[in-house]
Amino acid sequence: MADSAENTPLNSLPTTKVARAARFAKTGLNVGANYVKHYAKRAVGADSSTADLHQANAAELYGALSEMKGSVLKVAQMLAMEKNILPTAYAEQFAQAQYQTPPLSGPLVVKAFRDAFGKSPFEVFDTFDLNARQAASIGQVHRAEKDGRTLAVKVQYPGVADSIRSDIRLVKPIALRVLGLDEATVRPYMQEVETRLIEETDYALELRRGQQIAAACASLANLQFPAYYPELSAQRILTMDWLPGQHLKEFLATNPSQEVRNQLGQALWDFYMFQLNTLLQVHADPHPGNFLLQSDNGGTVGVLDFGCVKEIPADVHDLFTALLAPETLADETRLTALLTEAGVVKPQDPEAQRTFYVRTMQASLELVGRPFRQPTFDFGDPGYLQSLYALGDDLMQQPELRQQREPRGSEHFIYLNRTYVGLYALLTELRAFVRTA
Amino acid sequence: MEKDRIKQGYLDYVLRKGTPPASVFKLTKKLGLPEQEFYRYYANFDVLDRELWADFGREAYDIASKEPVWAEYGAREKLLGFYYTLLEVLKRNRSFALQALRRSLHRMPGLTPRVLDGLRQEFEEFVTNILREGRQSGEIATRPLIENAYPRFFWQQLLFVLGFFARDESVNFERTDAAIEKAVTLSFDLVGRNTFDSATDFVRFLVQSRR
Repeated sequence: MADSAENTPLNSLPTTKVARAARFAKTGLNVGANYVKHYAKRAVGADSSTADLHQANAAELYGALSEMKGSVLKVAQMLAMEKNILPTAYAEQFAQAQYQTPPLSGPLVVKAFRDAFGKSPFEVFDTFDLNARQAASIGQVHRAEKDGRTLAVKVQYPGVADSIRSDIRLVKPIALRVLGLDEATVRPYMQEVETRLIEETDYALELRRGQQIAAACASLANLQFPAYYPELSAQRILTMDWLPGQHLKEFLATNPSQEVRNQLGQALWDFYMFQLNTLLQVHADPHPGNFLLQSDNGGTVGVLDFGCVKEIPADVHDLFTALLAPETLADETRLTALLTEAGVVKPQDPEAQRTFYVRTMQASLELVGRPFRQPTFDFGDPGYLQSLYALGDDLMQQPELRQQREPRGSEHFIYLNRTYVGLYALLTELRAFVRTA
Repeated sequence: MEKDRIKQGYLDYVLRKGTPPASVFKLTKKLGLPEQEFYRYYANFDVLDRELWADFGREAYDIASKEPVWAEYGAREKLLGFYYTLLEVLKRNRSFALQALRRSLHRMPGLTPRVLDGLRQEFEEFVTNILREGRQSGEIATRPLIENAYPRFFWQQLLFVLGFFARDESVNFERTDAAIEKAVTLSFDLVGRNTFDSATDFVRFLVQSRR
């Protein structure tokens, strides 16, 4: 919803069930092929650029597959192992719509309004622009005005919930084959992802959550939430304030000062820590498209899109916090106990394997949890990035991990991990210096 | 008017009972009319069916063209607007429409069931008009000879839409909305200026240069 997106109408992109099936089939092939190429180059000692692999895989893996294999190990995988840490390509890919569809035609938008309100959008609003300004993940955003207020109106594509279900049916077998997984062991993870995706199609729920979280976070500094208008919203239509600001990429292109970047980073950090630790409910989709940045008042973050919200069960929260705590890192018995509780280490694992998992997790947790063990943390520090890459390279070489054939850990970690990955990605792109304690 | 009463009475009967009345006599008796009153207007129920479909098309056009933005729409949007409105009209009479479609559409794909003949005339006239507008605005490429076939081509598209509608099982026929959207986008990609025109132009150039 950035101002800069104003004059660029959406382009057409293909999608029918058949087209999507073809895309996913291709995804499976592409990802497989990318890895084959990558390992082949490595085997002959060539320096296969991880950025290449990354670039090649980001769309496929993250768009379609990455959520399927959830586990605490995913922290390692996502943050380090696959070197997708803070992936520019990932961020760029994800900033685009996940379910890409050609823009809705004017008559269909009008029809959606007639279905919902019995009136055309021109009667509902004072002005309404039939050309979409931006793609939202499962719809498109129109600009409208009413009573002197500028509004963003999200209109959902027809039949999205259905197509998500069939997407999952399509992607499942491919994901299972590519990752070498067994259907029964992945079911809880699939279920978790499916639930979130279906929730995302429910605009009434999104409206409620947006209002709730905005109200709960009202005391946090430098954050801005749009007001939602229930009387102008329906199942497939969501009306909110049009927030000012730019998306991360365009914002960074304006060369904001270090102070502004710090304040933005701090606002994001505080927002997420408050949700994770106090609300136990988190905006689990921190991709750059959902934030609008501006340098007014030293830096303000506008938060959009509460379609994907993860409610964190209390015991999962305790476990996650305990895993990231400094004491845990030093105490191997405690770490093993926690990992067993999380389902990463299983009692029936052979001794060697258990030690290996604990070691691996210890290494990744040391890195991932580092911001938490210091009063302040510099996400722009190139040393931190490099050690994450190094860890990734290291883990990539571990045959044990490459051969791991079952997901491990609680399914609740999928979206928690995604949240951390997204947050760290944003903060590193911002190169923000954040008070983390 | 007696004619409208008969039409409405017939439609109500089909909507309520799910089948046409067993005989003209039965219908006219129900309406309290002498049987020959029916035959003053219609030869049989088939003719009446055809007229009802033509009415749906006319009604859809009337409603759609009253939309305040209609004048701003291009040819593509006008066609879309017509389709969506036609669907709304059909949904209001869905038992009648679905029954007729399911009865007649499955036979030969591509062949027009006789019951839709009236609608076809209305539709092709409408399409001819918006195509002319489209050619004037440059939205549609001018292709002598071929373009005369366009109304028939779009009629096939409408048949596809109706067939999709008849088989659609999604909530509120949302899949049909998507099908319309995609079918119309494709067809306008085809009739708009595209590779085909450049190729024709190129071939014509080569042939002429040969001389």
